Amino acid sequence: MTPAGVRLPGPHPRSMQRGWGMGESALLTTAPPEAIVPAAPLIETARRVLLFVAFRILILAITVVVAVYLTILIANMGGYVDQIRRAEIREEVSQAMVANPAFRSLPPEERARLQQELVRQRERYFGLDQPFLLRSVIYLRDALLLNLGRSYQISSDTGSRQVRLILLERLPPTLLLLGTSNILIFFLTLWAGLALSRRYGHFVDRLVIGLAPLSSGPAWFYGVFLILIFAAFLRWLPFGGMVDVPPPPDAPGYALSLLRHLILPTLALTLSNFFVNAYANRTFFLIYAGEDYVEMARAKGLRGRDIERRYILRPTLPNILTSFAIVLITSWTGAPILETVFNWPGLGRVTYEAIGLVDTPVIVGATVIFAYLLALTVLILDILYAIVDPRVRIGGPGIEQGAP
Amino acid sequence: MRRWLRDLLKELRYYPSALLGGSIILIMLVLSVLVPIWIPYPEAVRLWRGGEEVWYRLPRQVPPAWVNWFRREKLAGTLIFSTRDQPSLKRSQPAGEGRRIETEFVFDYPYDTFPQELVLYIWARFREKAPFLTATWKTPDGRSLRIMELRAEGMKQGFRFAQDRRLLQRLQGVPPEEALFSVPEATPPRVLKGTYRLRVEAVTFEPDSDVDVEFVAYGQVYGWAGTDRYRRDLGVALLWGFPVAMAFGLLGSVGTTLIAMWLAAVGVWFRGWVDELIQRLVEIFSIIPFLPVLILVGTLYSRSLVVILGVAIILSVFSITIKNYRAIFLQIRELPYIEAAQAYGAGSGRIILRYLLPRVLPLVIPNLVIGVPSFVFLEASLAVLGLGDPVLPTWGKVLDEAIFSGSLLQGSYYWVLEPALLLMVAGLSFSTVGFALDRVFNPRLREI
Amino acid sequence: MTPSKALLQISGLTLHFRTRAGIVRAVDGVDLEVGENEALVILGESGCGKSSLARAILRLLPRNVAAYHGSILLDGLDLMRLDDESFRREVRWKLISMVPQAAMNAFNPVLRVGEQVIEPALNQLGMSRPEAMERARTLFRLVGIPEAFLQRYAFELSGGMRQRAAIAMALITSPRLVLLDEPTSALDVLTQANIFNKLKQIKWELGVSFILITHDIAVSSELADRVAVMYAGQIVELSDAQRFFREPLHPYSRGLLASVPRLRHRGELAFIPGRPPGLIQLPPGCRFADRCPLRFEKCAQDPPAIHREGRMVRCWLYE
Repeated sequence: MTPAGVRLPGPHPRSMQRGWGMGESALLTTAPPEAIVPAAPLIETARRVLLFVAFRILILAITVVVAVYLTILIANMGGYVDQIRRAEIREEVSQAMVANPAFRSLPPEERARLQQELVRQRERYFGLDQPFLLRSVIYLRDALLLNLGRSYQISSDTGSRQVRLILLERLPPTLLLLGTSNILIFFLTLWAGLALSRRYGHFVDRLVIGLAPLSSGPAWFYGVFLILIFAAFLRWLPFGGMVDVPPPPDAPGYALSLLRHLILPTLALTLSNFFVNAYANRTFFLIYAGEDYVEMARAKGLRGRDIERRYILRPTLPNILTSFAIVLITSWTGAPILETVFNWPGLGRVTYEAIGLVDTPVIVGATVIFAYLLALTVLILDILYAIVDPRVRIGGPGIEQGAP
Repeated sequence: MRRWLRDLLKELRYYPSALLGGSIILIMLVLSVLVPIWIPYPEAVRLWRGGEEVWYRLPRQVPPAWVNWFRREKLAGTLIFSTRDQPSLKRSQPAGEGRRIETEFVFDYPYDTFPQELVLYIWARFREKAPFLTATWKTPDGRSLRIMELRAEGMKQGFRFAQDRRLLQRLQGVPPEEALFSVPEATPPRVLKGTYRLRVEAVTFEPDSDVDVEFVAYGQVYGWAGTDRYRRDLGVALLWGFPVAMAFGLLGSVGTTLIAMWLAAVGVWFRGWVDELIQRLVEIFSIIPFLPVLILVGTLYSRSLVVILGVAIILSVFSITIKNYRAIFLQIRELPYIEAAQAYGAGSGRIILRYLLPRVLPLVIPNLVIGVPSFVFLEASLAVLGLGDPVLPTWGKVLDEAIFSGSLLQGSYYWVLEPALLLMVAGLSFSTVGFALDRVFNPRLREI
Repeated sequence: MTPSKALLQISGLTLHFRTRAGIVRAVDGVDLEVGENEALVILGESGCGKSSLARAILRLLPRNVAAYHGSILLDGLDLMRLDDESFRREVRWKLISMVPQAAMNAFNPVLRVGEQVIEPALNQLGMSRPEAMERARTLFRLVGIPEAFLQRYAFELSGGMRQRAAIAMALITSPRLVLLDEPTSALDVLTQANIFNKLKQIKWELGVSFILITHDIAVSSELADRVAVMYAGQIVELSDAQRFFREPLHPYSRGLLASVPRLRHRGELAFIPGRPPGLIQLPPGCRFADRCPLRFEKCAQDPPAIHREGRMVRCWLYE
């Protein structure tokens, strides 16, 4: 498996369904008693979906805890989180001492001794004298509550050194970039997949298939080429950043500037993801178009549009969601580089800055936040699966629960 | 087995892009084997990290020499002459206590532009009495000019034409790079093409005193790949990028695929809690953010490619593909002919070989091939973030330096394009082959 | 042959596909007739083109169709002359409906069963939803499925239930003719018998006509009013059921009936040696000749349809 995710159409949908229950007992030849409970459909569905969602949230929560714990362990193997905590304590203590007039009057040796004593007290309070695994649990609790400590050097726009603030401040631009791009890609590939499946064998179809290998290049890579062409050579679009500097004071000007800056990064993401996903979607549509129930729909006299919508698109949605999930996840994890290349002031770029400055608290904090973002993405996808595929809700045969 | 391979190749004929990709892969693999032989690792490190000592002869940030094919106005090439490389250029005669050493550099200057810089490097060996050197410049049209007179200082020194006040005075303020090569009285200045001579005469005053000189006319192009900001020949890094990329890519992809397959098989074989555990791990790892954790490891612990590769493999193994492999293994487990095979006494090895492998290969092989570019680009990604391997020269490192030294703004497009195009070619070649293999192994995809 | 009242008259129906291996002549000049409230059973081995026949009637053509012509008269109206849109609007499910082979996969997995059952009623007949649901409930009761299952999804129904639901769905628009393509081949014997009984009941109660395509002679003999035997893309015998089962004309029909195992039979099982020809490389002359125990020289020519006493047979023996 690749770090970026392999976006192949995957095994035939039929092969994923086991045991469709051929043959049954003779007892069913007569009508079963009315004892089978026919619950009201809409309430029943809602109840099932809610139960499912609650269940998934629970599982996801546990998963997040374990994932963040692993992250903490990795970070603290070299004692770096301890370092962060120690530095924080020392800073707090010295600040407290400076603020307190009573301390200032003391002679320097006294002050030093008192400072050490206070530091030691606090260290014990925060569990820094506990064994490795236990300490990590304490850090885990903090990380989960997003109590991410203070940075070494980086500060937020408001001047605070709280890692949480720094990172959360940088979240909206990332969401803007990735959100816009991914929504665009989703609908584009959906539409393209449908359009291509109708024109099977056509030149455009083969063109898209031929361009599918472009997916091997990550978005930031195409970004470099795009900047080379459109910014350096043609000078049509800006090199990077989110808005012009200085930003236009009026709202429409600002929006326009924002849009101009969004074009290249979005295009980069699209180049990397569009062709292979359009190809995968089109293949799904073609495979599902060959299903027996589609022929039945034709036999029943349904219109082409309706057939496409209800009998091809709707059953295929889970597969489409799966391939889109891969796009989402890789875009999250690729954010640091994409934002770095385009100088986009988001979560990814602050991570890059932290690398350069070796600002460990920020790096660790960013990893935790990325984990949360991924968990959220997975949760949303699970919910969508439940809405779209009744087999997931009701637990049909052979369907595995949960999004990839 | 051999027939299977032949059938496979016959099928691939229908995919010309894959054939092209395949041949490129072969070329890359061959290069990956040849390059470490041709430029051994210590030599590569020396060339790439050697410092001024190694790089001083090359012009700073210039494009490759072959751009001249596309230009009407030919950019100046770099000319290097050294008595250290060619001792025969030196002629030495005894003179008094020491020797009189004459060196003459004769060269053609066919370019349309002036050189970037002119430097005469001098290595002098002496104990107390420093040698004395003079240099004379002769143009094709017979003009002659004394350009340098000095006493050697220390072991090595560089006489930069453009910085010598006396020479500047003699040339009436015109930069020597221009003045020494231009047609007299021409406005705008035009290059005088023809054969030039630079004669250096050194007089030593001690019996074992010796002098070596090196003349470098820094051009605006160099070599087949150009140079970077530090005067390094990019060709070294680009060549060494091949084995690094191939090794990283192949090891990463093959390692991940094999381990993932093995894990899926183990889960299906042992069922119960082992299977559950593996599935839970897959879910957990899907939440662990891949790149940020690699960043964590790279920043805090080690940037060595070996370590990064290991961590990357571990993180990639527990991914969705295990579920795909598991689905296939589950199908196989249910198959009656497995039981039948066991019943007639087939050993596990035989079962695996004859029944398991053929069913799982259609999924494994395309995955494996398509996975290679992911790892290749991963190395580049980390390099661009500043977390590249500290020692090895790789494409990613070159790209990183290219992007962040503002080469795009300065118009040194070649610096970015060369590693980028190599990355692209490497990535595309594997992925075209992979996609074609996918269609070959899954014929139903072909009907569609 | 003039039936009591001809509902459907098919003549020269032809459907060929283009494949990599060549042109498949699945339906090669088929003549059929079905009367009002009549059940025509089409017998044949697998690979003789039966399923293609059903699709040819409903114009469910694949992408690689090579030839499609003939005439299909329903109540005198030639369906083949209709353009695609009119055919879709007027014929599909309104006049002719279908119960597919192996209804396992006949239902959309993400829509509720009831939704799919009433779909044609809403679309083709313009019925209101409550009306259509009421009709669906009635039909479900008729075929023996609890109404609650209208709200379920296809995977929640067993195989037999799905088959019955498909039958209900085929009847929702009260069509004149229902094509049943091997409706019970995937089910066990008891369910088969059950479903055939239901079909008899439906025929009786609703007055609908059936074309039942099957290879199962024994069970279908219960239901058939008329029998057609299909071989290698052609109808080789067409007769009323009584006379057919008593005295089959075509050597192939005889072979088929002889090969039905009888409960108290002693000795070896009879069978027809050889295999039916592939539909791509059809031999010249009578297509059954190479397996026919009664073949003679004339069989080298393609026999025409010979009518005798209200029955049709394609065999030189009856010239």
